[in-house]
Amino acid sequence: MALTKKIYQLFEDIVGPENISNDPVVLASYQNPINRASNHMGPFYDVFTPQAVAVLLPACTEEVSNIIKVCNKYGLKLKAFSTGWSGMGYPCEDDTIQLDLRRMNKIIQIDDKNCFAVIEPYVIAAVLQAELMKYGLNTHNIGAGAQASPLASCAYLGPGPDSVFMGFSNENLLGGEWVLPNGEIVRFGTLGSGSGWHYGEGPGPSVRAVLKGLLGSMGAMGVITKVALKVYPWPGPAVLPVKGTIPAYYTELPDNFKYYTLGFPTWQAFADAQHKIWDAQIGYILHRQFNKMGCDLKAGVIRILTESDRHLNDLEELLEDPEVKRHTEEARHDFEIVLAGMTPRDIEWQEKALEEILAETGGWKVKAMQDPMRNAWGMLYLIRWGHKNLNYLYSGSYEGTAGMSGSPDFGIQHIDKVKAFKQEWDKKGMMVADGGDSSMGSVGVIGGGGGFGWEVHACFDSHSKESVEGTLEFFDAMAKFMKENRLGPEKSKHMEPMRQSDGRATPQEARNKMFGATPFPIVYKYQKKVKDAFDPYDLGDVFYKYSTD
Amino acid sequence: MALEDFRRDQERCSECNSCKWIPFDQIKSQRFAIGCPSIAYNNFTGYSARGRFAIGLALNEGRIDLYSDKLQEIVFKCLTCGNCDVAHKVCRYDVEPLDHILEMRKTLTGAGQVLLEHMIYIDHLRKEDNMMLEPKAKRGDWAKGLDVKIATDEPCEVIYHAGCRFSFDEELWPSARSAATILKNAGVDVGIMGKDEACCGSRVHSMGFEGEYRKFAENAIDAWKTQGVKTVVTSCSDCYYAFNRLYPRLGAHFEVLHTVQYLERLIKEGKIKFGKSIPMKVTYHDPCHLGRQGESYVPWDGVAKKIKGQINLFNPPKPRYTGARGVYDAPRNVLKSIPGIELVEMERIREYAWCCGAGGGVRMAYPEFSGWTAAERIEEAKSTGAEAIVTTCGHCERNFLDAVETAGEKMKVLDVVQLVEQTM
Repeated sequence: MALTKKIYQLFEDIVGPENISNDPVVLASYQNPINRASNHMGPFYDVFTPQAVAVLLPACTEEVSNIIKVCNKYGLKLKAFSTGWSGMGYPCEDDTIQLDLRRMNKIIQIDDKNCFAVIEPYVIAAVLQAELMKYGLNTHNIGAGAQASPLASCAYLGPGPDSVFMGFSNENLLGGEWVLPNGEIVRFGTLGSGSGWHYGEGPGPSVRAVLKGLLGSMGAMGVITKVALKVYPWPGPAVLPVKGTIPAYYTELPDNFKYYTLGFPTWQAFADAQHKIWDAQIGYILHRQFNKMGCDLKAGVIRILTESDRHLNDLEELLEDPEVKRHTEEARHDFEIVLAGMTPRDIEWQEKALEEILAETGGWKVKAMQDPMRNAWGMLYLIRWGHKNLNYLYSGSYEGTAGMSGSPDFGIQHIDKVKAFKQEWDKKGMMVADGGDSSMGSVGVIGGGGGFGWEVHACFDSHSKESVEGTLEFFDAMAKFMKENRLGPEKSKHMEPMRQSDGRATPQEARNKMFGATPFPIVYKYQKKVKDAFDPYDLGDVFYKYSTD
Repeated sequence: MALEDFRRDQERCSECNSCKWIPFDQIKSQRFAIGCPSIAYNNFTGYSARGRFAIGLALNEGRIDLYSDKLQEIVFKCLTCGNCDVAHKVCRYDVEPLDHILEMRKTLTGAGQVLLEHMIYIDHLRKEDNMMLEPKAKRGDWAKGLDVKIATDEPCEVIYHAGCRFSFDEELWPSARSAATILKNAGVDVGIMGKDEACCGSRVHSMGFEGEYRKFAENAIDAWKTQGVKTVVTSCSDCYYAFNRLYPRLGAHFEVLHTVQYLERLIKEGKIKFGKSIPMKVTYHDPCHLGRQGESYVPWDGVAKKIKGQINLFNPPKPRYTGARGVYDAPRNVLKSIPGIELVEMERIREYAWCCGAGGGVRMAYPEFSGWTAAERIEEAKSTGAEAIVTTCGHCERNFLDAVETAGEKMKVLDVVQLVEQTM
């Protein structure tokens, strides 16, 4: 049903006139190129999400509940986002109300004794981290970056650089408050039995699996309005001591913190070291990060980012520098590690364990990243995780393409093939020729270790038709390559089962085919029953995934 | 430039929200984590750089109408403080949020989409050479009784430009008088333009009135050239920005110094001697136009090129205005050299300082928003335990004075130069 004056008034009565708009200019600011969290297709192929009929800014759970009830009564769809970083937070159907949850931004409680924090949707990770550090605590940062909402990803998976120590987002979900798609407010976990926020599974309703589905509800299963998240020890200063000149900010932490980029002679040694690190239970942050800039380019780019007067124009000259070349070669098979000692003995032990692991695997600490300035920059980068946007550094658009999550022993068998495949395409000049291996990911994709999430980036220029079309061809070729080699999903197409090329919902029949065609189907038919039970008025959209085939 | 020329910027916005916060690396608390006053006050995403990119793109593609009250409000309810610009540039080399909003304003004013509140000031500017709603004849009154050269009568190497705010806001006259007096007493061959001084044009530039800006800029440049001026000194950060960043685009080649830079120089040279101690804990507010927008203009004429297939560059390298080279240390060095002064820092400082709320024509058109922005800064200043917020811009001082008065606060609002004079 279209938004009539009467319905608008009902919404206005809930949130107040200053917190609702259906002005075309405001609505235009809430339209999103369909894959904007990563790839931009520029003027040639960008397609915008359907325009919402109104945007509402609720301030509390009760307002969200009342909005949903009005939506259901009048047959309107609803899509909510916390920060709106990803295209999944925007409508894919007509007659949809867009909720922007930015006014729900309170840190409700930090319980430093029981190690949890209660937050609303618009508390971003950087803010929560800053507040937690005052209590000697820290929060898990998801791969999307410190600008993302920890609440939003708790109904997803949410791996990140610190997963080895702090797990996944959904693993950290304790008690919470959820407005169901029928408008009912459910308090889950211990909160549901009046026992506080401290446990997700009860006594009280245990709904974490329903919220998450198999791979996240993506804003299509009501609105989560408050959650308690498990938080973790931070044995550092109450305020991150940040120095340096933009963009080369850095932090110098006490001696119980160490950051290293570890290099290995072979992929096998790279994987062995990961297993040994997990076995030794060391590490606070464990991630392959700087390689996202490309194995041939990262050493030069790191110098540009750590010296405030440098520019991308310096890159080619830097890459000819013997020290940079040495850095490049030392870091062909590398990942980053931050050790955080809870006591002096702890850091001493972790250091010794790491030395032993390096000796056993033939690995080394990449010398160039031991340079005090680069080391202090890398430490800040990895801890605050505020540089997600560097993914766009080269040419304004990128996308994850090959993805090979699983045991590192799986990925290492294939990464050189993937690299060679991408290198061939790089020669065509349509993407950034980064050396072929631009893989990055969390070294510890199961809480405490056990997996490595490879994601290979492809950077391209959204304002060059040649570049966009060449990259789209590459994505198709990579998808075929991945399927033939049974390597997992080609990530650039992750939105396709939900949105068609016009930005609108993909019909269920087509979705069934897509799900069935993937090497690792990520849906269950049973999810349809869950959807029907919890969303009787079909408030949410196709982002809550299920198969009917 | 035209709005169409910003299409790449509009489409390259990654919707990451950096523009709403101070640089993520610098966040120390939730209370003072926000960088953009416009989104903080107005909430809808259109009031952020990210939203304005989306709206600019919609305009370019004809998806929305140029003649819209809401569009006007979104475009003009921005302080043009540039915090979004800095936060973006921690990671991005190819997006210019501040230039984009300035271009949106030019587009709207060019189409007659102007705010009536602004037009009162623009009309006055056209008639009286100032936007303070004061007669031109009173321009030189601030300097009455000072034995300072009038540059139109006697040649001088250094021009002290008081600016509109210091010239017409009597409560702020002591700052301008102190500056001129200190310079003169230190042996500087300084003069003022007196009643012949005019608006620098910086404010109208930020409001989108390009024609008015150029007129005042060209007149000032011509006058200074005629008088053989080598150095222009001003106590107003807006004027500093105009002379340092904008005028060189029109061919100006004067040394431009803010008063506080000159003071730092004179202190180093031993030409300013401090006497009595001023026991006071103060915090320093970085004005946007002296700080992050205080980087000098770098001429550039280049072409786009690509390396490594698709890495976008310019040849020669395009200047990158990140706020890194703004004027931050001079005021702090001066304050630290004053006996008795204890400088304590707020959380949002230097290139990611919170705006005072006076800029971009907002004080004229949206006084509540302007006042709220200033009050936020006063709260931040109070959190340091300082008894005074000290700054180097008349517009900031006025907005803070009003905010303090409205809230009944005890916080003192001072100019660095006043403290220097008090101790001499």
